[in-house]
Parts: sequence; C-alpha cells; structure tokens
Amino acid sequence: MRPLNVISKDEIQSIHETTLRILSEIGFVWTHKESLRILQEAGCKVNGKRVYFPPSLVEESIARSGKRATIKGRNGDSFTLGDGGLFFHNLGGARDVYDPRTNSRRAARESDVKDAARLLDALEYCHTVTPFFTPQDVPGELMSLFMYRHMIPGTTKPLQGPGIQYGYEVKYALEMAAVIGTPASELILSLSPVSPLTIPDHEAEAVVEMAKAGVAFSTLPCPTAGATSPMTIAGSLAQQNAETLAVLVLAQIINPGLPIIYCGRLGMLEPRTGLIWGGLELGLCSAATVQLGHSYGYSVNVYGFSTNAHTLDAQNGFERGLNAVLPALAGADELSGIGEMEAGVMGSYAQMVLDNELAGHILRLRQGFDVNEETLAFEGILKAMDGTRNFLGQKHTMKHLRTELHLTTLAERNTWEAWEKNERKGIVERAAEQAGQILKEHVVPPLEPQQDTELDRIMAAAEMEHARKG
Amino acid sequence: MSEELYKEMAQSIIEGDSDKSVELAKKSIELQMHPLDTITKGFVVGVNYIGDQFGKGEAFLPELVMAGEAMKAAVATLEPELMKLGESREVMGRVVLATVEGDIHEIGKTLVGTMLSASGFEVYDLGVDQPAEKIIGKALEVDAHIIGMSALLTTTMVRQREVIEELDKEGLRPRIKVMVGGAPITKDWFQKIKADGYSEDAIGAVKIAKQLVGKADA
Repeated sequence: MRPLNVISKDEIQSIHETTLRILSEIGFVWTHKESLRILQEAGCKVNGKRVYFPPSLVEESIARSGKRATIKGRNGDSFTLGDGGLFFHNLGGARDVYDPRTNSRRAARESDVKDAARLLDALEYCHTVTPFFTPQDVPGELMSLFMYRHMIPGTTKPLQGPGIQYGYEVKYALEMAAVIGTPASELILSLSPVSPLTIPDHEAEAVVEMAKAGVAFSTLPCPTAGATSPMTIAGSLAQQNAETLAVLVLAQIINPGLPIIYCGRLGMLEPRTGLIWGGLELGLCSAATVQLGHSYGYSVNVYGFSTNAHTLDAQNGFERGLNAVLPALAGADELSGIGEMEAGVMGSYAQMVLDNELAGHILRLRQGFDVNEETLAFEGILKAMDGTRNFLGQKHTMKHLRTELHLTTLAERNTWEAWEKNERKGIVERAAEQAGQILKEHVVPPLEPQQDTELDRIMAAAEMEHARKG
Repeated sequence: MSEELYKEMAQSIIEGDSDKSVELAKKSIELQMHPLDTITKGFVVGVNYIGDQFGKGEAFLPELVMAGEAMKAAVATLEPELMKLGESREVMGRVVLATVEGDIHEIGKTLVGTMLSASGFEVYDLGVDQPAEKIIGKALEVDAHIIGMSALLTTTMVRQREVIEELDKEGLRPRIKVMVGGAPITKDWFQKIKADGYSEDAIGAVKIAKQLVGKADA
C-alpha cells in the first residue's frame, strides 16, 4: 500500500532546514557539564545556558546513527522496528482506572500495574508492552523503575523499558532487564526532552548513561502547539525535530551507530481548557512526524489511540480511530496508546480490549489489497456466470475470505433480533466482559523464584540510592 | 472399516469438497454399504457439524454453501442405488421455494433450498420473480407441506403477505405452512403477516421447517 503523504518532499526539506537553523541559531538550553564538554569537543558552541549545534554535526550524526532497533521478550520473541510492519504498544503512565460497568474512576494501585501487564500479554495486537499505570503512592523518582519491576512478571512479550528521567534509573533498568535475560542491545528505553528546546541536567546524564551502556532509545519530545511550541503545525514539527536531533547528536558522539527510534508526541493546545490531545490535528501531526522520521531513514513511533473522552463513547471511538489511522496510513512503524483515555491520564481494561480490536482493523487497512491474476478473478467470474451466478459456493471465495476480510469479534454485525436476543449488549459490554474473562483466566508463565528475589533486591537498591539522594 | 469411511464422508462435506464426497459415495456403493446408512451416518454428520459451526459464528456462509453442494452431489450419486433397493431416504417434507414477484434475488433462497435438501426435505425451487398463483399452484401440484418465500427488497416484501392472504382465501392454511425470509424480514414482519415460520439464516430455516412438519430435533 502506498503511504499517505500529508506533506511533500519539498515541505519536509523546509522543515529540516528550519530545524538546522533552530539548532544552530536559537540553540538548546543545556547546563549538564559532562555532556556539554562532549558536545563542545565535537564542535558545538556554548553561550550562557545555550548550546548551538553546527548543521554539519547534526547531519553527520543522523547519517551515523543506527536506524533499526530490536526488542526482545522473555518468551524469546523479538521485533525489529522498521522492518515494514506496524507494531502497537500500550499507553504508558496512566494515573486512574476507568470502570465502564459503574461509569466511575479510581486511582491506580500496584495490582493494576500487574493486571495491566497480564491483560496486555493476552491481547493479540499489543505487540510490545510498556509499563501502564502510575500508582500515586510511589515516589516520582522511583516510579519508572517501580512500574517496570512490577510489569516484568506479567508478560512474556517484549517489554519496552520505562521512560527514563534520571541517570541512575538506566543502571537499575538494565540490571532488571538482565534478570530476564534481555541484554542492553535488546532493550529500549525512552526519554523526553522538555519543550521548548530544553534538557534538564538529570536527563542529559541519563542520555550519557544510555549511550554508554549501548541501549537503543526513543527520543520522545512532547511539545504542545500553541503552548510549548508554535501554534502552527509546521513550526512545531521543526521544533520537535530539533528536540529529537539534539539528544541524538549527544548519543551518537558517545556511541556512534547507536540505534535511535524517532518518536514524536506533538499535540495541540485546546485553547478553551488548556488541555491537549484528542483532536484530529494530533493525527495530522503524527502522520507528518512519520514522514519526517522516515526521510532520515528512522523507524518512527508516534501517538496512535488518543482521545479526550472520559467514557467509552462515540467521541472516544472516532477520535482514537482518526488519530491512529492517519499515522498508520503514513507508514508508522509503531503506534502507542492501547488502553488510553482522557488525554492519557486514565486507562481502562475494557479500552485495552477495544483497542486490540481497533489495532486489528488498522493492520488490515495497512495491508491494502493485492491486484494480480488470482485476485482479479476473471476465471471465477466466468465460472459463476456459467454456473450458479453467485460466488458463495466457489473455492476462490473460501480461499480469500480470511485474508481479504478482517473478521471482527467485538463489533456489532448482526440483526436487531439477534442483538435483542443477546440482551442488547454492545461493543463496550462485550469488551468489558472479555477483559474480565482474560483477567480471570489468563496465566502468564511465572518468573523463577530467584528472578523475583533478584528484582526485589534491585528495586530495594534503587530505593536506597534514592533515599540517600533525597 | 465403515466407521473410518463415515468420518471421511463427514469430513468431505465439512470441507465442501464435492469431488471427494462423490468419490466416497461411489466407494460406498462398491463396498455394498447401505446407501441410507451412508447418508445418515456419514454425510449428514458433516452437514450437521457445519450447520452448528455456522450457528456459533465459527463457519462462514461460503462454507455452508459448499457443504450443501457437496451433500447434494453425494446424495445424487446414491439416489439410483436407493431406487434399486426400492427404498428412499425418509422425506422430512415437501417444500416449494420461491422469491416473490418483482424480486430477482435468490442467493439466500437457494441456500435455504440447498440446506433443506441436505437435511432430507424434497425441495421444489421455482426460482425468482414468482407470482402468488404460480407458487400456490406448484404447492398444490406437489402436495407441499411448506411454502417458503424470500424477498430482499423492502418494496417486494409486501408480496409475501399477498401470497398468505391468497392461501387464506382459498382455505389452504393450516394445511400448507408458510415460511418467510430475506434480508429485510424481521420477527415483527413475520408476526404481522401471520406467517408460520421465519428465520434469519439457512440453518435456522431448517430447524423451523422441521418444527412445522412436526419433526423437530429432540
């Protein structure tokens, strides 16, 4: 299927050139001493709290950087991002849990971190799992590691490492990954520079640690057009690109060839509330981000399922559908957001099941359809016309039925009568039932007892280090 | 030996493989197996299975059609043997099928016919665009137990009522039962026009037909 272009080649070039000008003329707020020294040695200029990147260094770094990253699960499955496939993962970092049966929400608990991993483990189209909930009784500095530790036993799928903000987190995340046999080269971490164009010291330190350890990572800038980046999508794309490339330059100086996953989380300001997220422009931004990252040869990960809705309603469905379909058609390698609600602060188990269904549909969409002698079916048409004049009883029909159609399991495809007979249950009720069923029945092969003990030891060591620093 | 063969027969129907079902039917004749056993212990098992799977949403319409066709082909192969033995397969009932006047859609109706034949009914399929008098005339000619009428269009479904009214006028009900079906046909419509049976799909139609002739599955 030919990818959708929301911007032209010339427009990509204009954005790229603006990015180079932003990095060389406006600069990046950067005060972390060790990394500043590394950047200066490579030719960057420093003036006050700003560092300025020469265009040649930026372009060399792009050329030098690894473009494909592999991620492995404890079941031995591994994915290589950028192989032409589309992979889905869940939202990371939801505060609350929504329950469609009572139409209410509650704060996420430790058990939700575990249950989410187990449910996602069972969902066919959630290819990789990332820590989902953020129980609010865990200190912020330990949150990422806490989530990671409690997700590990809940899935055998490739588990994306947590979003990293501090240098010491890298060390502990690597130790935890090693417990389940994932070497640094098959782990992916992520890090979000602060928009606009700022990297706090602790994040710069984390980039240094990840690059030294040889961990592929996702640069995850999250500018909000109209608030922390220009109101216009074009300007915001140029700035987002600069935020990704600045971090990438540092990583490539330290570890030339280190694979980077090009990520963008550009969203729009909702000017009436100050919130971000759900509108259709998000999908447009994501599609353009995909094109931009692909123009450099990277695999690209952007927002997929995104809504501002608080319930599993029509708005939820159309917003997440539009926002995921646009980047998917643009050729995204990875889409995020399974289970997301309310602009990413809430999640729900039923939503995870619904998104699994939607992901299946989007994968079907991405497949397009083949045009060849077999699929043009001239012989079949002839046979039907000479015979029963219908196609139901033809072998050709059966042969292609399963590949040509994505058969839904949750969406309504029945008559009014059948629906009434089924107590008028709709897609939401079915999804909630399925989620409950999976959580009741799905068993994930447990870790060895010594692996669990080791993870506890690492978590305790991280807590001690945090306490010392605190 | 025959147990194995019965299984293969059922399987040939499940796979919708007419060539295979005919081949197995011929083999059973060579082996001098009783053709009625061949049908009821072999092929029918396959039809029932695929029907159940369809009812559960696990088999598809094309599979149902192919299974029905494979069944028909096998039965046609065995029929001369039955005649020779002076026996016949137990006829569940005689059904006259048609798509109503003004409507030329027939895939669903044909499928119902196939499934009814596969289940042991004697089916007289008049085809499409059939006026009331033709349908009723045929029913009287073959002494039908059931008239089955199909309509795809919301503009032609009213013709089903006309046929029923005609039957009532001539005092032919309840001697002849009426089944209706087709995409726009709902339970409400079926009740409104006072038909005797209605189903949303071909598998349901077989069940209803069996009920109407008093041969419902236990």
